Amino acid sequence: MKKLVLVLSVLLLATIQLFAAGAQEKASQEEVTLSVMWFNDANESDVFMDTIADYLAENPHVKIDMQVVAFSDYEQKLKLMISGGNPPDVARVTNNHLAALISSLEPIEGYVDDVKAVETQFMPASVAFAKDDKGILRAYPTEATANGMIVNKTAFDNAGIDVAKLSETWTWDQWEEAARKVIAANDKIKYGLAVDFTPHRFSTLMFQMGGRFMNSEQSAMQFNNPGTLAAIEMFKRYHDTGLIPKSVWLGSENPAELFQAGIVASHIGGSWNINTYNQNVKDFEWIVVHNPKGAIVSSVPGGKFIASFKDSKNKEEAQRLMAVFSDKTHNEQYCRDTFNLSARVDSEVQYPSNSEDFARFQIDLTKTPAFTANEWKHPVVNKVSTYIREQVVEVLIGNISAQEAVKRVDERAATFF
Amino acid sequence: MKPKRQKGNFHQTITPLLFLLPNMVIFVLFIIVPAFQGLRMSFMRWGIFTDPKFVGIANFKELLGDSVFWVTFRNTLVYSVSVVLLLVVVSLILALLLKRNSLMGEKIFRAVFYIPSLLSMIAVGIAWRFVLGDEMGVLNHVVRSFGGDGINWLTDGRLAMTSVILVSGWALSGYYMVIFISGLQAIPTDLYEAARIDGSTPWKTFWLVTLPLLKSTVLVVVVLSTIASFKAYELIFAMTKGGPGYATKFIVQQVYQVAFMEDRMGYASAMSIVLMVVIGVFTAMQFVFSGKDQGYE
Repeated sequence: MKKLVLVLSVLLLATIQLFAAGAQEKASQEEVTLSVMWFNDANESDVFMDTIADYLAENPHVKIDMQVVAFSDYEQKLKLMISGGNPPDVARVTNNHLAALISSLEPIEGYVDDVKAVETQFMPASVAFAKDDKGILRAYPTEATANGMIVNKTAFDNAGIDVAKLSETWTWDQWEEAARKVIAANDKIKYGLAVDFTPHRFSTLMFQMGGRFMNSEQSAMQFNNPGTLAAIEMFKRYHDTGLIPKSVWLGSENPAELFQAGIVASHIGGSWNINTYNQNVKDFEWIVVHNPKGAIVSSVPGGKFIASFKDSKNKEEAQRLMAVFSDKTHNEQYCRDTFNLSARVDSEVQYPSNSEDFARFQIDLTKTPAFTANEWKHPVVNKVSTYIREQVVEVLIGNISAQEAVKRVDERAATFF
Repeated sequence: MKPKRQKGNFHQTITPLLFLLPNMVIFVLFIIVPAFQGLRMSFMRWGIFTDPKFVGIANFKELLGDSVFWVTFRNTLVYSVSVVLLLVVVSLILALLLKRNSLMGEKIFRAVFYIPSLLSMIAVGIAWRFVLGDEMGVLNHVVRSFGGDGINWLTDGRLAMTSVILVSGWALSGYYMVIFISGLQAIPTDLYEAARIDGSTPWKTFWLVTLPLLKSTVLVVVVLSTIASFKAYELIFAMTKGGPGYATKFIVQQVYQVAFMEDRMGYASAMSIVLMVVIGVFTAMQFVFSGKDQGYE
């Protein structure tokens, strides 16, 4: 009898185990719909879906609900979703978004075996952006971006200037001299330079002229410094003397459209413009050149990232997808097809074209001081960035002096410390 | 003696209330509750990801010394007064021209003038930026093809403000035209007949018959367009981003910037409360100045 009870008990236990395992397997295969929020510089949302196609094929229980939002509305929408307790499972974010949102992101730790090993796979600047103030990694870097100069090579050729060679050592004075020759030699070229209507792109000039946003300890804003003043004054002089069209910073015209139309010789944009110009520029040859030297040579590092949120509904699956999307193979595919610089240190992206252009961005990034990334990572710089842009425009219009502008910015920023 | 109000039966009383109930629920949930929430928030220091902290009237005190807020306030007033005047005049003229339904193609014209008000204001703003842009704009392309230098429609502060006022007038006058047409069609035709027999000129008829009898419609148009103009944002932002400088920056854009860029929800709420009070005062003034006798009934 005892034996019978024992056998029955064993059988019962085995049956329970069997059912439990079956239920677990069923649960793990339950359909999961990941909500993914994305913005496009060009075709990134399509390439993202292509890149993870193999992951979705291997995991048929995972579905993607992709929501593509215009970049101008993106941050506000994300903030409202987060504050409403309903963030997406996965979102594409920039380093500027990270400065504002990092505390709401789910840490990577806990979803990978060794988070330190993950960190070593990416460029230090990208990892710095993706970490919070306690040093916890909260996003996977995907693309590295660099601000820089793109020129109409055909127009420079017409003026007898080998712009690629000249740019290896040029200063802003030499750029100005060359730009005036280009305008004189080309009927269609009206201006020397267009700079994106963002404080981030303006900071390219500012860092090059030796300026900065904050003091070195980052304990206070210090926009009032000789380098920043020199950059604002140079920017105004270029506007006043017709080297830069007023329509961009005063009339919010799109500088990329002016460049594509062939009426400006150079454009300070960034590595993300390569994809757009490959698709849209057909009438002339363009190349990326090195940034002109002011006090120093500098680009502005930035990046794009993929992250999940503390309140996301499907964090486990989201983290799995992000890890796969950020691995070497998938990241190389994504960066190749979107014409972006990879944020991985081991990346060997074989671009179908523009290899030299990417190389120039990379070289300028290596010359860029580390504080440029740290300043753009600071939340106060992010908060006052629109105010900075407004003050620069006030100087360009002639309503205030550069000195007054930097003073106002420091005063405004002081309220956030 | 005051006549005694007649009580209706239960169905007569409750049925209209039931019909109104869904609208009332939506109104309370999406207008009244958020308005009170906004008022509460205006006394807080609060970031979108941080806990609110009561600060009394500190936000309102700070507003008094905020020069950017007062620039946007002045811009909003200039824009609002100009747009309301423009809308009343243009849409009334259009309505007078198109009220009779007797001209050839009149329905087509009505539709053509009305269509812009159906479009997204962002789309309208972007489209007009393509028309008025300094370098890439269609209008300047035409000007330059005739040997001109191009006009700084959006890069000169005064011209930029004029441009956004005119474009707003273009975009919205069709909507108010329809309101005026319904008002004009409600005026009894025998009054016009009597005026004609008395030898009144069309101009005199307009001043002495049409306009007095259109008073209530004018008030509706003025109130609606004033409220809309104080809240203007999408069209102007798409056209000028508030520039050049602060030339076309209005209160709503500043509220957005302070709330979502600077992460100061409490301070932005204080600005919104001031805006709400100003709109309320303007609306009340319009009712007071328009007098008690609103109609011809």
